[in-house]
Amino acid sequence: MGAESGGVAVSIRDLTKQYPGAPTPAVRNLSLDVAAGEVVALVGPSGCGKTTTLKMINRLIEPTSGTIQVLGRDQAELPVHELRRAIGYVIQQIGLFPHRTVAANVGVVPGLLGWPKARIAERVAELLALVGLPADAGSRYPSELSGGQQQRVGVARALAADPPILLMDEPYSAVDPLVRARLQDDLLALQAQVGKTIVIVTHDIDEAIKLGDRVAILAEGGVLAQYDTPDELLRAPADEFVAAFLGRERSLRRLGLRRVGEVRSEPAATVAVRATTAEALGAAEGMGARWVLVIDGDAEPVGLVAVADLRHHSRSGAAGRTVGEGLEPDRRPPVVDSTWPLREVLDAVLRSGSGGALVDDASPARCVITLDALAEALR
Amino acid sequence: MTAPAVAMLAVLAQANRRDTLVSWGWVSEHLDDVWSRTVEHVELTLVALAIGFTVSSALAALAVRHRRTFAPITWIGSILYTIPSVALFGMLIPVTGLGFWTAEIALVSYTILIFVRNIVAGIDGVPAAVVEAADAMGYTRWQRLRSVELPLALPTIVAGLRIAAVTVIGLVTVAAVVGNGGYGAFILDGLDRDFPTPIVLGAVLSVLLAATVDAGLAYAERALTPWARRRGGGR
Ligand SMILES: Nc1ncnc2c1ncn2[C@@H]1O[C@H](COP(=O)(O)OP(=O)(O)OP(=O)(O)O)[C@@H](O)[C@H]1O
Ligand SMILES: [Mg+2]
Repeated sequence: MGAESGGVAVSIRDLTKQYPGAPTPAVRNLSLDVAAGEVVALVGPSGCGKTTTLKMINRLIEPTSGTIQVLGRDQAELPVHELRRAIGYVIQQIGLFPHRTVAANVGVVPGLLGWPKARIAERVAELLALVGLPADAGSRYPSELSGGQQQRVGVARALAADPPILLMDEPYSAVDPLVRARLQDDLLALQAQVGKTIVIVTHDIDEAIKLGDRVAILAEGGVLAQYDTPDELLRAPADEFVAAFLGRERSLRRLGLRRVGEVRSEPAATVAVRATTAEALGAAEGMGARWVLVIDGDAEPVGLVAVADLRHHSRSGAAGRTVGEGLEPDRRPPVVDSTWPLREVLDAVLRSGSGGALVDDASPARCVITLDALAEALR
Repeated sequence: MTAPAVAMLAVLAQANRRDTLVSWGWVSEHLDDVWSRTVEHVELTLVALAIGFTVSSALAALAVRHRRTFAPITWIGSILYTIPSVALFGMLIPVTGLGFWTAEIALVSYTILIFVRNIVAGIDGVPAAVVEAADAMGYTRWQRLRSVELPLALPTIVAGLRIAAVTVIGLVTVAAVVGNGGYGAFILDGLDRDFPTPIVLGAVLSVLLAATVDAGLAYAERALTPWARRRGGGR
């Protein structure tokens, strides 16, 4: 999804962090490249060194050994506060400054960079709108906002000076699932707009899969277990640990990554409920379709019938019966459009009991996605 | 407070003489003195608080930066704080003689423990997440102290200032024994002449000044921390 994924934004080489007094390193020999414009999710069990890794990128923690290059420069060369002003950071506990208004919180880094006041005010207003906060939120104190709103302020603050790189540590752990889903969608929309390089830490594999162009799975002791696109991870986990971490719903999760527009839908013959089985068969065979979509008087789909079943009925002497009579009641196929994730299509199809979904697109031929097409998508 | 206590003892000692406690005529004749004693009292107090706060800020900065120094600093501060004030004035006279700076040395020494403890507690009380966020935004250490830690420590620091101010105002009254003015001079005068009116006047004025300053500081704190007043309480 990276708009311009030419260069490498963050390049981590042989990174090790040994906390004084700890028996084993928190991060061991980690090497990882983050392409410019991509979202990389760092996931792994608690204590596996995700936060430590993230904090080493902006030197909130100094590595024991190894190097990190940020935008092609060794990050140890820059004065640490300059490096940090160039990297947006959303800390896990939000950490807004309680004594500053929301606007002042958002304007912190531009202020440190010496922007003129008017430009800061303009930028703050722009960011509040971007993260979906009401304009009057700027004059309030953080304690006067809801948790989800504070989270947005944290993101706005990290984005304020337009840094090319954004680091986020479990940014949505403190909000309920509904708000979390909305904030995740917001982040994706934001990413589509501003094209940042984002490294996001999470322990939620679904969040990693949803947000990451690539996902790095860390094992105990900060060892990189696998680094791949979500689809590839789910299709071919590198080992038992990764497979266990991804859970038992790998196929369902993969379906969640694909959209209707990305898979082959097949044309279906459209017939009215009053048509006989023989007429329906004729229509289907005429266009080589495997499915017949039955519509009522208002052209609403009321059922989906496999051509193989029609043949069976026809052979057992029911060729003259109307297709409407052959339909089970209340098995209307769901109507989906090309933006639907396949996982939701599968759910809708299973709920309807109809064996497939009708794709609502502009084409005159009516196309359907059936259960076997969904299975095929996972090959 | 020490001074009102001394005044109270003196008054009790006189009580069996059945004189009237307060001669209003004497008070009205000495309004000029009331004014000049107030100026002296406030001056002694302000100088002690200013020096005490400055010294304590440096000590607190040292303690925050190098944790190991905190225990010895508070230890010395506690010793200074527990020496009885009259004894301390007495010990200083052979060294520094009578006068303004003798009083100040003693007064300042009582503020150190209060100020250091409260400044350090205030800075320690800043939530770790807020400090980490300040670092992550790229504040230098000094900028972080000035823009984040001190403003958030302000309520605790002002609380210390209020205690120190009230303590010093009381002690200044006792400092009259080393030859300074202030309300203590009324009390000494009254004790000398076996005359209760100036004793009561000195004690009452001392208490009034302490209460006024305390209320003023409380008001200033509210004005300086608007975030703590709104819904949610801020921290
Ligand atoms: N300041 C520290 N001093 C000593 N050990 C630490 C320190 N910070 C973290 N650790 C240890 O290093 C390991 C990695 O910690 P880290 O915070 O990076 O884990 P994490 O993957 O972010 O975990 P979580 O998902 O629970 O946030 C842990 O074993 C932790 O106990
Ligand atoms: Mg963590």
